[in-house]
Amino acid sequence: MRRAFLFLLLVIAACTPSDERTELRIQRFFGACDADYGGRTDIAAAEGECGIMTSIINAFEAENPDIRVNRNVVFWPGYDQLTAQLAANDAPDLVTMHGSVISDYQARDLLLPLGDAMAEQGINTADFTDAARRAVEIDGQLWGLPIDTWAPLWHINMNLFREAGLVEEGEPILPTNKEELFAQAEQFRQRTGKPYFVQATANEYASFTRNFYTFIYQQGSSPYTEDGRANFTTPEAAEALSLFREIYERDMTTKNQDYSASVSGFLNGQGGVYLVGTWMVGTFEQASKETGHALESGYTVYPYPQLYGRNVTYADGHNWVMPADPSRTPEEREAALRFLEFFAEQNVHWSRTGHLPVFQETIDSADWLALPHRENLAPLAANAQPLPKSIRRQFPIETIVGQESAAAVTGAKPVDQTLADMERRINTILDNL
Amino acid sequence: MTDTLSVETASIPKVKRRKAVDWDGYLFIAPYLALFLLMIVTPLLIGVWLSFTKGDLFGVERFVGFENFARLAGDPIFREVVWNTLYFVVLTVPTLTILGLALALALNFQTRWAAVLRTIFFSSTVLSVTVVTLVWRLVFLPDGGLLGEISEALGQTPVAWLNDPQLAMPAIAITTIWWCLGLPMVLYLAALQQVPRELYEAAALDGAGRWRTLWSITLPAVRRTTMIVIVIEIILQFQLFGQPQLMTLGGPNNATRPIVLFIYETGWRQWELGYAAAAAQVLFAMIMVAAMAQYFVSSRKEEA
Repeated sequence: MRRAFLFLLLVIAACTPSDERTELRIQRFFGACDADYGGRTDIAAAEGECGIMTSIINAFEAENPDIRVNRNVVFWPGYDQLTAQLAANDAPDLVTMHGSVISDYQARDLLLPLGDAMAEQGINTADFTDAARRAVEIDGQLWGLPIDTWAPLWHINMNLFREAGLVEEGEPILPTNKEELFAQAEQFRQRTGKPYFVQATANEYASFTRNFYTFIYQQGSSPYTEDGRANFTTPEAAEALSLFREIYERDMTTKNQDYSASVSGFLNGQGGVYLVGTWMVGTFEQASKETGHALESGYTVYPYPQLYGRNVTYADGHNWVMPADPSRTPEEREAALRFLEFFAEQNVHWSRTGHLPVFQETIDSADWLALPHRENLAPLAANAQPLPKSIRRQFPIETIVGQESAAAVTGAKPVDQTLADMERRINTILDNL
Repeated sequence: MTDTLSVETASIPKVKRRKAVDWDGYLFIAPYLALFLLMIVTPLLIGVWLSFTKGDLFGVERFVGFENFARLAGDPIFREVVWNTLYFVVLTVPTLTILGLALALALNFQTRWAAVLRTIFFSSTVLSVTVVTLVWRLVFLPDGGLLGEISEALGQTPVAWLNDPQLAMPAIAITTIWWCLGLPMVLYLAALQQVPRELYEAAALDGAGRWRTLWSITLPAVRRTTMIVIVIEIILQFQLFGQPQLMTLGGPNNATRPIVLFIYETGWRQWELGYAAAAAQVLFAMIMVAAMAQYFVSSRKEEA
């Protein structure tokens, strides 16, 4: 019986055709949508982050019959899983990674530099935008292929703006300083009966951090010193928190909404300006084309207005990186580089997600500028301000900054104490790297 | 004389030599013992070792002695998470014990309805933490949540349960009690069914009322189960993690961050494995002390 079973196993094994193709292991976030895009290779017809990413990978596999792509979709952001994989010597060939996280893995020799290899592959790395280059460059080396740059934006309900008398020649009237912001928000409330802002303030902390960093930078200051220490006990940091404290206190924003509630709140016309990133441009644009929708023919989007001395917005970006793996064969490495080349060629398609392209040539192209609202967003390529690469552990730091900021904004803690606590907690992390 | 002695000697049965070690018994427990040593004791010891080091998941950098523990003692966030954890245990363990007993008493009948209700009350226990927290977030959300809608229907302003530092932990405790009530109820039901019927019959003959019967017969009879329920719940609730991770992310203003979430964030997000391991040892000690204290108090009462 046992022999018969073993014989059967051998027969089955012999009958299975061996796959001679090179295996390329790609690990990414952006969600899973195989039900809709599992077999689709038409990139131009795909919509949304997941759809476009899935279609790009499918198209690459279809065009490269010698490569078999092993896809691993991780729950956002997937760094716990990646860390465990790297600790267990089970590295994928390519992984999606935020620019703010790259330095953590690079500092532990867990990533491979890709600048020369990408140039040899024909990727025009010299054409990276400033923001894209800063996302992947450490010590003069490029540690990945930038996928996009994202930044928080002012998504605007133009229908409510019109009702509030804040539209001039078809364009929204945006504030140019704090006093104007409060005056316009008061006017908005009086005429529409709704708050000026829609924000996710419950169980969601990243937006607090993005606002805090943006308005520190706009005042010409920096949240971190030259030598990489947190520097929050400054008048500029206090001003950035106080701005949002006042917005909250004066009921100029929706309150107690988590992320999904705030998205549906904006879609349902609960407020005029939604503070969220580039990734929602496509969703809101789509909603504006629906008849009877609160955003029907009434959606536009702009970078954060300049309320202080400098016109900058805090930004981050997604990138492809290659984890170090001594067991990776030259064929697997070549397959990975071919994928990067293919992906770089699809940059304009990826930018339909709402994220900013990483090649200046794409930003200047008619194709990209023809996409809705992209002319408004183009200045971000120069104005986007990521944190310096010398600041490591940006991901956990972002959570701490967000949680502490939320406490100050909602009035649970005084601003000065918040800033002191925030600075102490973050410097403790940075002291123990 | 010699013959007699030799006969006597011959008649004494030889004492069978005892085996030095009885290996048969050990063979029976060997599979479990091997797993226990490999999966429980070894990680425990590695955890203790890590708590005296500085390092991340990719390697130990150096031995730091008690530095991590000293840092924990001076870390205001850690003190806050210890307090949060104790507060949560106080909110949940007595409630789970009392409610578990009350439900068991109410449903300890051989009727169809009692069986249906027992199943319903136990069914929440089999749900995953993801489902439980998703459901309860929809209950607590002030904007469109169940409680929010009820408040608005009554003309009241909805309460932001999960966004209020005073209410967030009680909200998580309510969620947890709803989720975990099945186990104590089942344990009490098992205990109640062991109480001899004759005792109740004797009490009835003596004219004892319901409260007198509960106080003098039922409660003493389920004392050992109470001890087990409390020890199990102390061990479980000290390890609070999934509910705040999914419902509040430890906020607002750190009000719901428990020790396990602190350990996870420190070890995995901040890559400070040694510091996280030290916090884990403190948690281990806290659970051990609380469970042992309960055990000794209950044992003494029983002896008295």
